[in-house]
Amino acid sequence: MTHLGMEQLLQLREPGLEPGGAAAREHVEACPQCRAELDRLHQRVARLRALPALRPGHNRWPAVRARLAAHARRRLLRFASVGGLGLAASIALLLMVRDLAHPASVAGSELSSAIARSHELERTLDSFKSDQRVTDGWTDRMAGELEDRIALVDRQLEMAQLMDPESSETALLRLWRERVGLLDALVDVHLTRASRIGL
Amino acid sequence: MADTYLLADAEPLLARARAGDQTALEELYRAFETPVYNLARRFCRTAEDAEDVLQETFFEVCRSLKHYRGEGSLWGWIRTIAASKALMRLRRNRYRETEALEDDLHVGPRADQHLRMDLEAAFERLPPLSRAVVWLHDVEGYTHEEIAGMMGKTVSFSKSQLARAHTRLRRWLGEETAG
Repeated sequence: MTHLGMEQLLQLREPGLEPGGAAAREHVEACPQCRAELDRLHQRVARLRALPALRPGHNRWPAVRARLAAHARRRLLRFASVGGLGLAASIALLLMVRDLAHPASVAGSELSSAIARSHELERTLDSFKSDQRVTDGWTDRMAGELEDRIALVDRQLEMAQLMDPESSETALLRLWRERVGLLDALVDVHLTRASRIGL
Repeated sequence: MADTYLLADAEPLLARARAGDQTALEELYRAFETPVYNLARRFCRTAEDAEDVLQETFFEVCRSLKHYRGEGSLWGWIRTIAASKALMRLRRNRYRETEALEDDLHVGPRADQHLRMDLEAAFERLPPLSRAVVWLHDVEGYTHEEIAGMMGKTVSFSKSQLARAHTRLRRWLGEETAG
């Protein structure tokens, strides 16, 4: 007597009957060995379902939260990019007005370069589209920290413009340079991630 | 399993979570953390990989919550995201490329004939894709059509993986009968 193979036994557990299913069912009813095999299969599946739940060893919620916050910041930055350009334009205007009153300063041209470099790095970061890719805990932590610091610098720049329009070029230059340094580091983090996961 | 815990409070919690309430999002995470990790751990070789899948899954869940309309169970929706992320992780780790080698290592008849293992150890020993198919089909209740769709494979692939896996489990568990 030819006994049923594993595929046929598994088929008997599926809803509906495939071609040959009726014959297989008849065989099982008549064959104690195949009936026992089918019982063992049922038992094995029941035992698999009864395996104890495995629990994570680490709390990953802080990393999820940090990544969500970074994602929200990126969306906000994209949304506010027109506003960001406005801020840069107003600084450029301020510099032009000052230049009319005073000879062109070294700090003024350095400030323009820093702003341009900052926009360039933003475009590089956009090209990573990191929210669409797989990242790891290390990247999330590092990127989250850097993005927090960038957001802080942005707030300081806004405050400098709103509260103290007479901010010195040196003070603005310091903030824009800090922003460029942080963006540079963020690009490095994403490049490292890409090399770690072989992108 | 998580649904029964969450069912009574699901709607108000989801409304708060959709509005970006951090406490609600964390509550959602806590409610489904274990079943998601358990599923991921059954697929992945290491606990760290499974934790990464857990993290990826909840990032996606929190981000896509507005798209969940309450059709089907919340756990069903989260579970599909988790399974997809776990399969993505398997692909990323190129498990498929090493599967042929693992097959040779795992099914050597002489080595296995006298070896009895418990079910969990035997399941762990299966190649990753086989484990994923067994878990999705036998434990989570997905159909072969659904599994084939998730894996980008054919229904026959899913069926044959399941049959091969059960043949191995039966042998490793010492359940084979003569004849």
